[in-house]
Amino acid sequence: MQNIISGLNQAHEHVPGKKRKLIGDRGDFFLNRMQGETGVNISACYQCERCTNACPVSHFMDIKPHQAIRYVQLGWREDLLKSSTIWICLSCEMCTTYCPNEVDVAEIIHHLRNMAVHSSITPKEKSLAVFHQTFLEVLRKSGRINELRLMNAYYLKPDILHERIKNNILKEDLLLGMALLRKGRLKLFTPKFRAIKEIKKAYSQTRGEIV
Amino acid sequence: MRLSFYPGCSLEGMANDYARSIDTVFRDLGIDLVEIEDWSCCGATAAHSLSQTMSVVLPARNLAVAEKMGLDIVSPCAMCFNRLRFSQNMIRKKVFDIPWHVTGELRVHDMTRFMAEPSMIKSIKKRVLKPLNGLRVVCYYGCQMVRPPKITGYTDYENPQTLDRIIATTGAQVIDWSYKSTCCGASIGIARREIQESLTRRILQKAQQAGAEAIVVSCPLCQSNLDIIQKDRSDRCTPVFYFTELLRLSFMESGASKLFKMHFADPVSLLKAKRLL
Repeated sequence: MQNIISGLNQAHEHVPGKKRKLIGDRGDFFLNRMQGETGVNISACYQCERCTNACPVSHFMDIKPHQAIRYVQLGWREDLLKSSTIWICLSCEMCTTYCPNEVDVAEIIHHLRNMAVHSSITPKEKSLAVFHQTFLEVLRKSGRINELRLMNAYYLKPDILHERIKNNILKEDLLLGMALLRKGRLKLFTPKFRAIKEIKKAYSQTRGEIV
Repeated sequence: MRLSFYPGCSLEGMANDYARSIDTVFRDLGIDLVEIEDWSCCGATAAHSLSQTMSVVLPARNLAVAEKMGLDIVSPCAMCFNRLRFSQNMIRKKVFDIPWHVTGELRVHDMTRFMAEPSMIKSIKKRVLKPLNGLRVVCYYGCQMVRPPKITGYTDYENPQTLDRIIATTGAQVIDWSYKSTCCGASIGIARREIQESLTRRILQKAQQAGAEAIVVSCPLCQSNLDIIQKDRSDRCTPVFYFTELLRLSFMESGASKLFKMHFADPVSLLKAKRLL
């Protein structure tokens, strides 16, 4: 226990006057839970930062991949679930491929993302979280994904349209949509998918947890 | 030879030129592709983001149908291939309850590796009518086809060679470069465009620096990312081809410019300059 705490001091310089963060109050419960659920030996990580250096989007993340692993070891569950890291990750699997200790970093981030969805914490990258949710909703309705239908459903979600107008990207999106239509790259109609019952059966496996 | 074919959702919409070129090429090579009956979406990438169960169960349905047909699967889309292989791994481990009868014994091929086998290369070589001499290209693999190596089975994941070998057979000059399997940003562009554009721009820039006139890809999402970013560029654009498009072009005695009308970065002027159209 002693050396975990001293490792923490090195990783995050203590700012005087600020309350120092300690190991999660449940000890290594969170670490054990994550190891059990993902089957990854998270304790093997020795912070070489290979994952962060390989990651193509690490500079958009607030908690870097190697830090995320450290946070798991320390049991800082809430910090991880409200970080942008778990939503920014592209699942390109660079971190997993190059980890010298075979820590499956991408799998851990996916698992944290699953946890975040099932928790009451508001995701930091809301637009990305809503996109994934919409994708699965459209998939349940039609069995296959039609890009046009997916984008329509996405824009009709609360806050998304508003955010797009505010950031001035709605016009760009519409122009892109028109260009794609003209090139014949969007499919307007999808034939009725026959095996929709089986898709519903697949969704019932999750006991209504996601959609 | 008969194989079951899992096209994936993109090949019905954004990448239906890819689907058409695959059809032609495989017919020319004498391989029968049987589309999996009533295939459904593999759930990438939303399914494994939100629930691990879904990421196993959704591809498992397609595996189950293919097993009933008794034919090995070939998938042109990198993401679908990755998800099918992942699901197959999990089915073999028997961690999840799958509502269908599925053993995971079928072989799941990714289309480029299937085409890069020595016997296929030989039959491609026989079919080439018009070598694509003088066309300088780089091959771009993307992430999901090669990584993680434990799932995809690639041993040369740092410097993959499958596309290089296929394209070299058509007579085009393939340039080596170091951004073969760097991520292009994938679907993050829908919600956070600036991230995707920064990644895609870098790949495009590096391809041009390597001296390439065109990029060859096999993933529908990589193609649309690399292509759409060039939509406002009229000169000095780098066309992004699917590898089957180049194969089809080399299988024909005289090409037609209407084959490429779905591209934003227009390849017609480049191909005309090289006397390939």
